[in-house]
Amino acid sequence: MVSDGNDPDEALLAGVGRGDPTAVRTLLDRRLPRILALARRMLNDAGEAEDVAQETFLRAWKQARGWKPGGARFDTWLHRVALNLCYDRLRRKREVVTDTPPEQVDTGPAPDAGLLGADLSRRVEAALAALPARQREAIVLCHHQGLGNIEAAGLMEISVEALESLLSRGRRALKASLADLARGEE
Amino acid sequence: MTAASMSVARFEALAQTFGGEIARWPEGEREAARALLAADPDRLSPVLTEASQLDRLLDLAPAQALDAALLGRLIAAAPRAPNATRRWITGLSAAFGLSAAALAGVLAGIAIGGHIQPPAVLAPAGQAEVVTAADVSNDLQDALEESSAL
Repeated sequence: MVSDGNDPDEALLAGVGRGDPTAVRTLLDRRLPRILALARRMLNDAGEAEDVAQETFLRAWKQARGWKPGGARFDTWLHRVALNLCYDRLRRKREVVTDTPPEQVDTGPAPDAGLLGADLSRRVEAALAALPARQREAIVLCHHQGLGNIEAAGLMEISVEALESLLSRGRRALKASLADLARGEE
Repeated sequence: MTAASMSVARFEALAQTFGGEIARWPEGEREAARALLAADPDRLSPVLTEASQLDRLLDLAPAQALDAALLGRLIAAAPRAPNATRRWITGLSAAFGLSAAALAGVLAGIAIGGHIQPPAVLAPAGQAEVVTAADVSNDLQDALEESSAL
């Protein structure tokens, strides 16, 4: 994916390449929370999300000096690296899971009504984690990361139509598994 | 763009796909969607309301608080500005047409040679010449490491 020459991170990245500590801090403030959130929602594990975010930025530091303006936007590049790292970990998890069946995550309604905020949050997180990875990726990129359909489809290396299909199926599955919570909102 | 350029079925599909905020729908379809909504709000507002319920639930999926230790590790690992020794080596190497590593190697050789020479020729007895040789050697070692890291 090629940027439109309007990458808001380009100047900061040049500063990082020159070893400017202010540029490092500003870039981290701007991009690290997004990458951390992406990894957390993809992996459903705080420790692994930190590892992915750390590895992503360590790779970014290596790229900083040789970053060529006019290529991919830096934010898109970060997302691509982080997603690849997430998929590496998801694949490893799947390999382990085949040997040892995990405890089933109960995404159904809790026995007691009136869930508190933290419980709600856990329910939603569990429902998201139960989705097939590509559906989850589509929802996290479009809903949580706020990417447009073209950018998200480009990152996932699929067509816009395929992205819409993943989003639609993912949202339908979430709506079904969280139906009791949605009813509570009415 | 008019309401006629989008069907109700497409409007519903977009709400189910991208959620209840038209601003988050594909850019090329927003205008037609707004026109269609304005033309038939009684029918289409509930579609958006229903999609927004799931949006609000999705917003509850936890992000992650930024850990100060992670931030510290990344700041520590970030590229650093060249230090004075490296700038000096780079400047000299440019002047002599050598690579920075090659020049640092030559200077390291001179420093080691200098360490073997009797120091008394260069300075009065004392610590100055011994400390200087060690310092130069260490500085050059640092410079070599930094040059190879470039």
